[in-house]
Amino acid sequence: MIFAKLVMLSIVPYVLAGQGTMLGGRTGLFNVAQEGIMLLGASVGFLGGYLTGNVWIGIALAVGVGGLAGLALAYFTTSLKMNQFVIGLAIFFFCVGLASLLYKVIIGVTLVPPLISTLPGIPVPGLSRIPLLGEIFFVQNWLVYFAIVLSAALYWLLYRTRLGLELRSVGENPKAADSLGVNTTRMRYVTAIIGGMLMALAGAYLPMVYTGTYTADMVKGRGWLAIALTFFGGWSPHLIFFGALFFAGIEVLAFRVQVGGRGIPYQFLLMLPYLATLLVMMFAFRRARVPAFLGQNYDREKRYQ
Amino acid sequence: MNQQLVFERQVKPFFVGGLIRKILPYVLAIIASLAAAGLFIAAMGFDVWHAYVTILGTSFRTPNGFVQTLLKFVPLLLQALAFTVPLAAGKFNIGGEGQMIVGAIGATAIGILLKDLPAPVLLPLVILAGVGLGAFWGLIPGWLLYRYRVNEILSTVLLNFVSFQLLNYIATEVWADSAAGHPTTVPIAAAGQLPMLIGNPPLNAGIILALAVAAGIYIFTSRTVGGYELIATGANPRAAQVFGIDGRKLSLLALVLGGALAGLSGSIEIAGVQHRLIEGMQSNYLLLGIIIGLIAKGNNLAVPFVAFFIAVLEVGASAMQRTLMIPGEMVFIVEALVLLFVLLSDVIRRR
Repeated sequence: MIFAKLVMLSIVPYVLAGQGTMLGGRTGLFNVAQEGIMLLGASVGFLGGYLTGNVWIGIALAVGVGGLAGLALAYFTTSLKMNQFVIGLAIFFFCVGLASLLYKVIIGVTLVPPLISTLPGIPVPGLSRIPLLGEIFFVQNWLVYFAIVLSAALYWLLYRTRLGLELRSVGENPKAADSLGVNTTRMRYVTAIIGGMLMALAGAYLPMVYTGTYTADMVKGRGWLAIALTFFGGWSPHLIFFGALFFAGIEVLAFRVQVGGRGIPYQFLLMLPYLATLLVMMFAFRRARVPAFLGQNYDREKRYQ
Repeated sequence: MNQQLVFERQVKPFFVGGLIRKILPYVLAIIASLAAAGLFIAAMGFDVWHAYVTILGTSFRTPNGFVQTLLKFVPLLLQALAFTVPLAAGKFNIGGEGQMIVGAIGATAIGILLKDLPAPVLLPLVILAGVGLGAFWGLIPGWLLYRYRVNEILSTVLLNFVSFQLLNYIATEVWADSAAGHPTTVPIAAAGQLPMLIGNPPLNAGIILALAVAAGIYIFTSRTVGGYELIATGANPRAAQVFGIDGRKLSLLALVLGGALAGLSGSIEIAGVQHRLIEGMQSNYLLLGIIIGLIAKGNNLAVPFVAFFIAVLEVGASAMQRTLMIPGEMVFIVEALVLLFVLLSDVIRRR
């Protein structure tokens, strides 16, 4: 039971970063800066929470800088028509550098890491008293609930509303969408900004729930794994949510077996999430439905096959 | 046409007009990013002029500073090429540090296991083991791309994390040096170490190897059929396919070659600098290598010059951190800004 509860706790960064990636990708904008934006979110979120003593301010600041990173991505790719991967990598560097710079300038080098209090579990009235399931699903911090609600809301938005249909059309065939009066540029800006916000929130979750402090290596590839998760989930919000259970499950498993110590060197257990992802990718990439225009910039005056 | 005319019409414009036009955006980008960084530094309350002098001057003031710069330059150059070679085929190799680490593991393993061999045999084996394992680490994403169409950005980057654990395992369980406080292996045999060009400050022969490889890569990409096919694939995969170029196979080969280059940087670090496997030896060469490759816009002739410039910045940054207490991460922002401004200069020219 504790395993299931930990898995639910650990899905949040994957779900948030994965949905953020998916949202941009559905308009054709492939963000590859997750790892950097998450680290910046972790740094800013931690510093904001530490300096003001209020986690909410930390979260708000992290979400803000994430939005700015998304805005930068959208501006350079959608308005200036620069290569999405190149700009994504540039933003990734910038965020990695800025995250550690901010921490060093504000906190400096300390022997004992400064701590913030982590987010408490909030029992949902009524539901938390269901035997077994209540403890697993309904005594969690509020971001777990947010991740669940967000996934459901995105599913509803993408597949049940006109806006969602328009949004998806931009990623599949922007020329057709454009000719029908969909504002492709605005759509890309909005999804990039919201996507960046979600990624930064995913990053802020790490110090606020796991560690209580910031370290330069705390994201540990979760940003890159979120891209893998998005492909794994076929760029659909509901499948990304269930895929996150798998990613979080492996993460928790590797950690718990390591603590348990069964004779296998722990380093090989820590490889597990990455190796499992590579294995899964071998099958996911053949089947996965990928937005047809993913990674390309749309230019009204250009011809597309 | 007499030679005078050829010179006037073709050679002179290339060097006078062309070279200036090529270099000008870089110069402007560097000035602009240093200015932006100066604002940052001033805002933090540090002495801006002193910071600039330290960042740009440390490499040239003392022999030690210059050798430090050359030692940084070697892995940066190779890491950048490990990125630009696959980039020519339109593939992003973000796995340079993993390939470097497994290369270093291979070099260390040979240097420890075959320690009784004479130097003329052992040294080439140490270097080749690194190249070979690096190439293998590039083959995995290459094959996953070729066979299963797995996105190479993902597979290369995920293998980095696997290699970190592999290094930790080998440095703590297999050949651990129990005297070191940090995961480190015992040293490789002296016969497996690169000879020194200068004894004090120590400069090993790795730089000659790296420059020769860089020249080879430049000739390969700009003067051979294989290199041409590589670039054609990256520029327009459909057109290349129409002309009978197997783009998928070339992408696979490009990733293997990239892995071999990064693996070589690992063996040079082991055989030339560290002489043992140390956790964290990959430093942040991967990110810097990608920045160099992107600033050079994938041009393999420009890569060594950009790599040298970044090495100067990096050596200056650590000096700045030591003497002026300005965080070394500052220089990372400078590098990211240089990249941004260089990229922007393309947009401006297009308009």
